[in-house]
Amino acid sequence: MRELCEQAVAAALGAGASYADARVVVRRAQVVGTRNRRVERLDDTETEGIGVRVLVDGAWGFACDRRLDEGGAEAAAHKAVAFAKAAPGGHVRTLAPLEPARGEFRTAVERDPFSVPVAEKVELCLRAEEALRHEDVKVTSASVRAQREHKVFVSSEGASTEQELVECGGGIDAMAARDGVTQIRSYPSAHGGSSSQSGWEFVEGLGLEREAPRVGEEAVALVRADVCPSGVTTVVIDAEQTALQVHESVGHPTELDRVYGSEAAYAGTSFLAPDDLGSLRYGSEHMNITADSTTPGGLGTFAFDDEGVPAGREPVVREGILSGFLSSRETAARIGSGSGGSMRADSWSRMPLVRMTNLHLEPGEGSLEELIAGVDEGVFLQTNKSWSIDDKRLNFQFGTQIAWEIKGGALGRMLRDATYTGQTPVFWGSLDAVAGPEEWRLHGLTNCGKGQPGQHAHVSHGAAPARFRNVQVGFRQ
Amino acid sequence: MSALDLAERALRAAEGDEALALVQSERSGMARFAGSEVHQPTLIENEVVELQIVRDGRLGIASGNRTDEEGLRTLAARACEAADSAPVDPDFAGLAPAAEPPAVEGYDEEAASLGAEDQARLAAAAIEASELDLYGFFTSGVTGLALASSTGLGVSQEMTDVAVLALAAVDGVSGYAEQTGWRAGDVDPAGAAAAAVEKARLTRGAVELEPGSYPAVLEPPAFAELLAYFSYDAFSAQGLLEERSYAFDKLGTKVFDERFSLADDALDPRGLPKAFDFEGTPKQRVELVENGVLSGVVWDRQSAKRAGDGRESTGHGPPSSLRHWGPLAFALSVAGGEADSPAQLAEVLGDGIYVTRLHYLSIVDPREGIVTGMTRDGTFRIRGGRIADPLVNLRFTVSVPQLLAELPGLTRDPVLLNHNAYYDERYPTGLLSPAVATARFDVTGVGSGPGV
Repeated sequence: MRELCEQAVAAALGAGASYADARVVVRRAQVVGTRNRRVERLDDTETEGIGVRVLVDGAWGFACDRRLDEGGAEAAAHKAVAFAKAAPGGHVRTLAPLEPARGEFRTAVERDPFSVPVAEKVELCLRAEEALRHEDVKVTSASVRAQREHKVFVSSEGASTEQELVECGGGIDAMAARDGVTQIRSYPSAHGGSSSQSGWEFVEGLGLEREAPRVGEEAVALVRADVCPSGVTTVVIDAEQTALQVHESVGHPTELDRVYGSEAAYAGTSFLAPDDLGSLRYGSEHMNITADSTTPGGLGTFAFDDEGVPAGREPVVREGILSGFLSSRETAARIGSGSGGSMRADSWSRMPLVRMTNLHLEPGEGSLEELIAGVDEGVFLQTNKSWSIDDKRLNFQFGTQIAWEIKGGALGRMLRDATYTGQTPVFWGSLDAVAGPEEWRLHGLTNCGKGQPGQHAHVSHGAAPARFRNVQVGFRQ
Repeated sequence: MSALDLAERALRAAEGDEALALVQSERSGMARFAGSEVHQPTLIENEVVELQIVRDGRLGIASGNRTDEEGLRTLAARACEAADSAPVDPDFAGLAPAAEPPAVEGYDEEAASLGAEDQARLAAAAIEASELDLYGFFTSGVTGLALASSTGLGVSQEMTDVAVLALAAVDGVSGYAEQTGWRAGDVDPAGAAAAAVEKARLTRGAVELEPGSYPAVLEPPAFAELLAYFSYDAFSAQGLLEERSYAFDKLGTKVFDERFSLADDALDPRGLPKAFDFEGTPKQRVELVENGVLSGVVWDRQSAKRAGDGRESTGHGPPSSLRHWGPLAFALSVAGGEADSPAQLAEVLGDGIYVTRLHYLSIVDPREGIVTGMTRDGTFRIRGGRIADPLVNLRFTVSVPQLLAELPGLTRDPVLLNHNAYYDERYPTGLLSPAVATARFDVTGVGSGPGV
């Protein structure tokens, strides 16, 4: 694989590129999904190929080839150069200086997920589903997934890295319906569960079967629950929804390519400007956000990103002040700060983009119960259900699967159809407490979309339950 | 080697009671630009083989892009392992029988011949036509889909698609236009850029709007996207069978304005035509709403079997990766109305808001058809029947059925909107939609202003 990358880089330089890098990626992914006690998905996907990125007179070019041989490597290189020459740039693109990276990295795995018999995975899903069954539950589903990605990267600057990243994940859902009301409850997260960069031990540790009876019962209770009342109130948000809040309202706006407009036509831009760095008040003093591509178990953990930049840990928001951006070598050079480290592509056939790695809300102190005890009247919100945010990442609206009334510092009745909305800096400015390290959890999601052609990134967020004051809850009049 | 030849080769590698090989091929280029400069040019060439193998009533699926003999043998072994690991599924509908798909259009030699230099040239044509910074892309591709099975199925289709997306923007202003089609001549990049600039110029000085319920004109991109999100649950048989769809217990009932008629029609040459679905079943036009009456949903083989009433697939089997969604209506087609233009719809409303495009939609409640999202790149107040003050981006949270309940007008000629974000394997999909005027569009907040 390394030789192919070297051939591709040499071919690109020979064709006129001033810079070239090549990535060979071989990926196997497996999904087992059951629905209403029958196997719905049993997919085993392998894909492999080489992607070559070049700079020619300041213009980028990218092309790929599925053939892992000399012909494929050279064809991709020549096509990338031809495309760059056909679409000349208007200015010189500079890459932040970088010591050529050399090294290897492998995910620490206790039990290789691809050594686990498929039948065992099916059985796990069916058992968990069985435990979800309940009167009024119309749909039960369970899924587990595994992925192994072997990646070699070589650049014309002398970088040469090899990494093997292994992911596993799983989740369960119960959907109940009664009298025209439909409600869903999930564990450990909505939208396909949660994933981690680790071996099958992560899935075994989720306890899907153990948690299923509670999930089914809550779905059934939700169809009989009262609708969450609208109003401005205090909200305590569980760690999973807080993680998504971080993703949407901190992660994306701090991607420096968005700040510079690269994503304007699709995913959007950012309310942040380059010169906001170090001065913009993003939130309250309780808000500390860190980008960390070294977090054990994180889906954004690696030794080197897809430009060969070594992994690291950097503050993005420190005590409420914007302190860093997520960047590439190109955008880091443009802002004159950092050296990138956030570039990732979702396969061999896509160009790397600035993506979140692992972005965490650092813990504060105390327990969830203590957060709730500090609320005279409010709502506790759990597990994402819907999500939307504007193109500059200012106005957001999230819905959660379940909510609980808080009265006098204690949880009260269950509520359904809860949503909350706000403006990013105002909302984070209303943060008055984050629970402590004992409540802090890592949440891995696999459906972060960006780019044209589209790419899915797998990212993780560590978060603990957090409390926000004066939040608009509900949208119904 | 053709996609069908490859599918037949893969089929020969399979060992099972029944087997189906599906091949998806792609040769595409996208010149993506930002700030009037191509910044992410991507050329893709790929061929993916999926094998579905049935052994003793158990189905296993595996896919890969290694197409040499060893690659296909490995693929078959993985599919066999999956099949042997699955329990017997009494609801398995079996593989599709041999069928003669309808003849459809959807392939254009000129579009197929576009290479990297052409894609860059057409992107440049858009950029040069814009007086403002331009963001977006020009893309073209050739996509193949072929299926061969032990049940005698042997179908293939080559499709072309071209699209230009133009967002003209500087600080404080932005306008949007898009064009898509299957012929090279269906899109005019310079024309799209000029339309985006014209729209952008109207957006300077955007003001906020008090949340509330407003009459609204939705341009085709806005209405089509809203309808697409509603359709995932509302017009899929799976949502119906699982009682989570708006259509549950309402089929045959008049629930929308009688001016509203909707079909799923992949055969229409005005769209992006398809001859068969991912199960190999020939495509059918399905009437979903007829003059306001909810009349049907789309079916695949699995949902039809589960319905248990002798029903058959309508040709809406999804790719394996989307099987958990059930059958999907990916060729929505809204019947046109009487109005000549969106401006005429504004005259009909007299007062309200005008929406060009939506952003980041999310389904809040599938059973009630509630969807939230933002407007962007051309939102205006309508006063005295004319487009007036530009507005900042608006947060909306609408009940789609309520929005469709009173439609004072629709434009006459539906236009084709691209419905493909080009994730994973390319497979062109689009919607035919007019602009509509609705009596009720619920604004629930305000966001950022136009511009980048």
